[in-house]
Amino acid sequence: MRISLFVTCMNNVLYPDTGRAVVAVLERLGHQVDFVESQTCCGQMHLNAGYRPEGLSLARKVIDSFEKADVVVVPSGSCTSTMRHLWRDVATDERDEGLVRASEEFAPKVFEFTELLVDVLGVTDVGAYFERRVTYHPTCHSLRSIRVGDRPLALLREVRGIELVELPEFDQCCGFGGLFALKNPDTSAAMGLDKIANVIASGADVLCASDNSCLTHLSTLAKKSPSLVPGYRTDSVQSQPNFEVKHIAEILASTKEGL
Amino acid sequence: MARTFAGAPDFPIGAKVSLANPQLRSNMARATRTIREKRNLRVSELDTWEELRVAGESIKRSGLANLHDLLTTFEKNVTDAGGHVHWAVDAEHARRIVLEIVEETGSKDVVKIKSMTSVEIDLNSALEKAGITAYETDLAELIVQLGDDLPSHIVVPAIHRNRDEVRDIFKAHMGEWGLKAPDDLSSAPEDLARAARLHLRERFLASQVGISGANFLVAETGSVAIVESEGNGRMCLTLPNTLISLAGIDKIIPRFEDLDVFFQVLPRSATGERMNPYNSIWTGVTKGDGPQNFHVVLIDNGRSSALDDRVGRDALRCIRCAACLNVCPVYERVGGHAYGSVYPGPIGAVLTPQLNHVTSDHVAQSLPYASTLCGACFDACPVRIDIPKLLVHLRGEVVDAKRSLTPKSQEQAGMRAASWLFARSSRLRSVGDFGAKTSSPLRGRKISLPGWLSGWSRFRAVPLPSQVTFATWWHKERAVEGETQQPSSRRREFRHKNTSIEPHALGIRPVVAPDAALNQANARDAILSAIRYSNRGQNEQPPIPRSYRRAARVETIDTIEHFKERVSDYQATVRYASFETIDSAIAEALSSRGSTSIVIPAGVPQEWLSSFAGTVITDDGTLEHASINAVDAVVTGCTAAIAETGTVILNSEADQGRRVITLIPDHHVVIVRSGQVVPDVPDVIARLDPARPQTWISGPSATSDIELSRVEGVHGPRKLDVIIVRE
Repeated sequence: MRISLFVTCMNNVLYPDTGRAVVAVLERLGHQVDFVESQTCCGQMHLNAGYRPEGLSLARKVIDSFEKADVVVVPSGSCTSTMRHLWRDVATDERDEGLVRASEEFAPKVFEFTELLVDVLGVTDVGAYFERRVTYHPTCHSLRSIRVGDRPLALLREVRGIELVELPEFDQCCGFGGLFALKNPDTSAAMGLDKIANVIASGADVLCASDNSCLTHLSTLAKKSPSLVPGYRTDSVQSQPNFEVKHIAEILASTKEGL
Repeated sequence: MARTFAGAPDFPIGAKVSLANPQLRSNMARATRTIREKRNLRVSELDTWEELRVAGESIKRSGLANLHDLLTTFEKNVTDAGGHVHWAVDAEHARRIVLEIVEETGSKDVVKIKSMTSVEIDLNSALEKAGITAYETDLAELIVQLGDDLPSHIVVPAIHRNRDEVRDIFKAHMGEWGLKAPDDLSSAPEDLARAARLHLRERFLASQVGISGANFLVAETGSVAIVESEGNGRMCLTLPNTLISLAGIDKIIPRFEDLDVFFQVLPRSATGERMNPYNSIWTGVTKGDGPQNFHVVLIDNGRSSALDDRVGRDALRCIRCAACLNVCPVYERVGGHAYGSVYPGPIGAVLTPQLNHVTSDHVAQSLPYASTLCGACFDACPVRIDIPKLLVHLRGEVVDAKRSLTPKSQEQAGMRAASWLFARSSRLRSVGDFGAKTSSPLRGRKISLPGWLSGWSRFRAVPLPSQVTFATWWHKERAVEGETQQPSSRRREFRHKNTSIEPHALGIRPVVAPDAALNQANARDAILSAIRYSNRGQNEQPPIPRSYRRAARVETIDTIEHFKERVSDYQATVRYASFETIDSAIAEALSSRGSTSIVIPAGVPQEWLSSFAGTVITDDGTLEHASINAVDAVVTGCTAAIAETGTVILNSEADQGRRVITLIPDHHVVIVRSGQVVPDVPDVIARLDPARPQTWISGPSATSDIELSRVEGVHGPRKLDVIIVRE
């Protein structure tokens, strides 16, 4: 199958390894991956922040860029949700009938990475090997907007050598929330710290998720002193956390020989 | 003077204050966790839950679309039944209407049921200014009032207080308002509830004016429905001679039968119970039973304007269950006060900006951003309000309102820069690659970002690109010559559409100077014409999907057993009897609780009491409250009973009597004939007469206001005995 990668702006600049991991998994499974070089951003940040015309102009750009693609894979739950739901909602809000229609036509082509593997390609065993203790955080958009359900866990369970441990209160938001992290830094950090405490309690060495944005929030928060956060209690996070964060694609791409 | 939310800081500041309060944090975490678990358990019992949500959405949606007609129908039906309907354009107007009614009675005090609408219009301050004392009677509102505090939750206003704090407040302040708390008051919720019962009992018996909110206004019958737990509601609704019910115009539902949805979803969503202890439904004035002077104040206060927003209007479907608060990770951490608004949490974040005009009020402008858009609220909402979608929409309104302001904010500049960056893939690549090349000296260093961006770096390290962008890597390593796609020539240039949305109904909403002599006729016309304007082109009347009524009927014997089990869950006692043994069953129930004097309605057969040796007073409709307060118990029949929820329904028939006799005595013995028991809530609707006052009773009076743990026994009967008579 010919699959077009929408790598997302964040992965493009900060996490190219995630993009390469998606390519590696799909090619290992015998598929052909395209990368439309004119792509930039789905507009999520602008749209969620209330900058509707600016965000929709990015939506139009994505729709145009991927005009020829049949299947678009996105290694992010929240960008998938933006492309599937938010474009249409905001275009409706802005009374842009043309874009509402274009968004509705575009939406069925878009798949979050784990959805693509399980639903479209019909695989759960992607031949991965990863000998670490891993816990999975279902990001809110994966869990409640696009509802990936246990697809990511089904994929992780088939990874050789992995020890999967459960994340306490897994369905709680990590506190990132895009612009929320900037506009409400104190609340965002307090929520993040609770998530970090749960990751520590899970005993995992690696925290994985389908969104590098949430993982960035948690890993950069973990790097600073938790005592800076208002309401910080010593019983929640006692020491500098030492888990690593990884996008789920990088775990699925990993083999005994390395990536 | 009663405290108000006026002058509250923007959400991020309020949140920061709350976050630093460890007591608040642990109270909130414990309480919201408790209520979430209870709610999930009770919701999981219903395999019709999703169908009920769809029906609830659909009923409220069509209610809003036909609001004009429903309100006028409601008005006519209330008036025909002897009540008075008033129309209030805004909070100031509503306060004035209430004051006039109270002043006309000459009463210097009023008893109140918890009503968020009353807080919304800041009624207590107005009453206080006029020399009228308002006594809050709901346990949580009492805690708030005694502690000179503000509500922090829609259903459980004192959720931010734990039991020790409540005890301290009671001990310090009860005496200032009436009977003081016992010196040895413990912090056990049972003791605190008992102290509230004693403190308010005399107040109820002497009250002349009651003020309530309303959960539902039924257009078709002119009925008002109130759900509550403690019995303070029943006290306020039945003992005073004058009753004033405040209701936002959004509280309307079309039909009486629609209650079969809301009486299932509201208790489960709000307090995690199959049914709350008491539902009261009444229509106008019933001669000889309850208030003889009844007023409904229909309040607009921004609602007809919100109705004009095609997306925002969905917030008006809200039934105030607060399930969205209980699941919200932001609310859990910051509590209700941080929102600086009467309606906190996710629903407050979409309702307040619409009621308070998002374009001008800075607190209201901060609220749509008080969410991570995690979506837990939408999943929990029993009427399927897509709160994240509304939040995003309202953020758009905030941004648009600020577009014309100069100088530009840092946020606006940042968004502009991002737009520039994302407009061309080459820009994103160049910036990313440049960052990767130059960032190494910064690696491992503490970076403080300037201004607006400091929100990130205050608590977090700054992520830096360390490798060339994916796009550059692909271009070098993977792109095949000739296959590199150029940006499509069809690419539309960024164009800034004029986003000024069509004018809100504001323009034609009543523009009335606060001091103008508003008369009822022009307020009514102003509200109705604003609604008509907002609803232009919205005359849909879709059929309500009633598939939730499909529940398979079980055999009669199972229904009875099911009923027994469910009633017992409420700490009520259930006995079986036959018509031959009914007298001894009643005598046993009475003596087991030490009840030696009873009151009965005229329709209870004397032979039911042939084995009872104590004093029997028959209510002929003239018994004084004090005389009823002097007996130990009341014995009645009922109209119907619901197995699934363990509910007994009194519909004021001859063997049930006036509402007051089943309220004041501390012990209620109720006789249920097996043929009166139906399987579930929808099955009972046809058996009821909406014209008569109704009381739905599910267990003894109870409260969950202290740390969300249910305690039996507040103002209503603390002991409930049910006798099932097999027919």
